[in-house]
Amino acid sequence: MKAASLTVLRAIAFVLLALILCGVIFEAAGFSALDMFSSILGGAFLADGALIQDLRWACPLFVSAAGVLVAFRCGYFNVGTQGQFYLGAIGAAVVVALLPGLPGPLVILLALLLGIAFGALWAFWPGWLRIRSGTDEVITTLMGNFIAGLLLIWITSGWLKDPAGSGQVTASRPVPAAMRISDSSGVSPTILGITLLVAIGIWVLMNRTAFGVLGSLAGRNPVMVTWQGARLSRLGLGAFLISGGTAGLAGAMEVLGPDGRLVSGFSPEHGFTAVLIALVANLSVSGTVIVALFFGGLASASLFLPVIAGLPAAAIDMVNAAIALFITARAWPRRLGGVRR
Amino acid sequence: MISLVVAVLREATPMIYVAMAGMLAQRAGVWNLGLEGLMITGACAGVVITERVGSVLAGVAGAVLFSVLLSVLLWVVIEKLRANPIIAGLGLTGLGLSGTDLAIQAIYGSEAAVTAPAGIPTLGPAYGILGVLDVLVLLMPFTVLALWVLLRRTRFGLRLAACGEHPFAARSVGADPGRMRLLALVLGGVLAGLGGADLSLGGLQIFSINMTAGRGFMAFAAVIFGAAHPLGTTLAVLFFSLVEYLGIKAQLVFGENAPRDFILMLPYLATVLGIWISARLRGGAVVNSAELRDS
Repeated sequence: MKAASLTVLRAIAFVLLALILCGVIFEAAGFSALDMFSSILGGAFLADGALIQDLRWACPLFVSAAGVLVAFRCGYFNVGTQGQFYLGAIGAAVVVALLPGLPGPLVILLALLLGIAFGALWAFWPGWLRIRSGTDEVITTLMGNFIAGLLLIWITSGWLKDPAGSGQVTASRPVPAAMRISDSSGVSPTILGITLLVAIGIWVLMNRTAFGVLGSLAGRNPVMVTWQGARLSRLGLGAFLISGGTAGLAGAMEVLGPDGRLVSGFSPEHGFTAVLIALVANLSVSGTVIVALFFGGLASASLFLPVIAGLPAAAIDMVNAAIALFITARAWPRRLGGVRR
Repeated sequence: MISLVVAVLREATPMIYVAMAGMLAQRAGVWNLGLEGLMITGACAGVVITERVGSVLAGVAGAVLFSVLLSVLLWVVIEKLRANPIIAGLGLTGLGLSGTDLAIQAIYGSEAAVTAPAGIPTLGPAYGILGVLDVLVLLMPFTVLALWVLLRRTRFGLRLAACGEHPFAARSVGADPGRMRLLALVLGGVLAGLGGADLSLGGLQIFSINMTAGRGFMAFAAVIFGAAHPLGTTLAVLFFSLVEYLGIKAQLVFGENAPRDFILMLPYLATVLGIWISARLRGGAVVNSAELRDS
C-alpha cells in the first residue's frame, strides 16, 4: 500500500514539474501563465457542461489507453495508437456506407467489429515485423501513424466523400441516426457501457488470465518466461492485436458516436494522449480510469481555449508533451515507477 | 540527371544534419526520438529570428541555440531524472511541435505561414542548375566526413562508442558516460539546429506549422538503417529522399491521375522497408538504449 501511494505521489510530482515548465514557456511566449492555467482548469472541469465534455473525451481515450497498457506491460512500445484509431474509424465508416439497408443495431455491431478488426490489422504488421525479425516497433508504428493519416485523407476525399461537404476538411456522409450510438454530446448508455466493458475485460485479462500474467512477466524478463515454456511470439503478437483492437474500437466509437461521420485528420492528439494516460497511470487499469478523466478534461479544454478564452489550443498539446517528457522519470523514489522493460 | 541530384540533395540535406545528431546520440547510447522536435524548433527559430532581426546569420544562430537548449533539457531528463529515453524523446518532439505552434500564434496572431526576407546564401544563378544549392548543402559532405574522422580517429569518438556500447567498461577506463552523452547531445543539438534552419531558410524561406511532417522520425530511422555510421546514415537519408523525389516526379508526369495520397506515403513506406532490412541483416534491434541496460 505504501509503495502504491508513493507511485501516485511521484506521478503527481512530475506532472506538477511539467506544468511548471509549461508555465515558464507560456510566460516566455508572452501569455500570462496564470490566465492560461485558470482557463484550462475552467474549460476542463468548471465551466457549464464541462464534466459531460470531459466524459465525452475520456471514454474513447480510456478505451485506447487500456490497449496501450497491455502492449507496454508486455514490453512492446506500440506508439501507433493514432494510426490504429484512424483505421478503426475507417472500418466503421465502411460498414455504414456498405450496408445502409440493414437494421441499425446490426450495423452498429458490425461497424464496431470491423473497427476493432481494422485497428488490430494496423497493429498486426508492426507486431509481425517486430516478433519475426526484431524490426523496432517504435519506428514502424510511428510511420504507420503517418500512413494511416494519408489513408484517411484518401478515403474521405475519394470513395466515402460527402458530395455536399465543402471547405478544406473532407468528410464522409453523416451516419444515419439509427446507426449512431450517441448524439453529438458523446455521452450515452451505449458508449459508457462499451467503456465499462473494456475496463472490466482488460482488468480480467491482465490480472486473471495466463496471457496477462505471463505477458506482464515477459515485459520485465523475457528470458525467464521462455524458460517457463511460454511462447513469447504468441504473447507479443497478442499484445499488439489487443492494443490495436481497442484503438480501433475507440475510432469506431467516435464515428458512430459524437462525430457522426468520418472526418479527415480528426482528433490528431488522440493516440499520443492515450499512450500518456497509460504511462501516467503507471500501466494499471484502475489508475487509467482516473487519469483518463483528467486528460479527457484537458482534451475538452483544448476546444474551450480558442473559442471562449481566445488562447491557442496548442497550449494543451504542450501540457501533454511536457508531462510525457517527465512522467517516466525514476529519479525519485529510486526503486519505483518508470516503464518496466 | 543533374537536376535529380540537385533536387535530392536539396531535400536530403536538412534530414542529413538531423540524422547526424541522431547518429551521435545513438553512438553515446541514447535513442533520440526528440529529433523531430529539435528540427521543427530549428526551422521555426531560423525563420522567425531572421524575419525579426533581419539577419540570416542571427536566424541560424538562434536555431542552433534553441536546439541545443532542448537537447540539454532532454539530457537532464534522461540522465539526471532517469526517464525512459523513448517516451522522453517523444515528449520533446511534442514540446517542439506545440511550442513552435504557440510561438507563431503568440508573435503573429495566427497560424499562417511565416516568410523570411532572406534565406541561407546560395551559389546563385551564375552556376545554372546548381545555383539553388545553399552553403549548408555544400558543407554537408565535409560535415559528414568530419564526423566520420571524429568517431573513428579521435579519443573522443572511441570513448563515445564505448559509452554507448558498454558503459561499465567505459567507466572503468575513466570515461564518464553521463558527460559523454551530454557532449554528444549538445553537438547533436548544433547539427539538428542547422538541419532545421536549412529546412525552412534553405528552400522557400518559409516556416509553416508542422512543416517537418515526420522528417525527424525518418532521420532517426536512417540512423537505424545506416547502423549509426556517418556514411551509412547519409546514404539511408539519400535513399528516403530519392523515393520522395520520384514520387513528386510521378505526380508531375501523371498529373491528376496520380494517386496523390499514396505517393505521399512512399517515404514512410521506404522508412519501414529500411529498418526492416537492417533488422534482417543485423539481427533484431531489441531496444538497445544503454540507459536501460545500465540501470
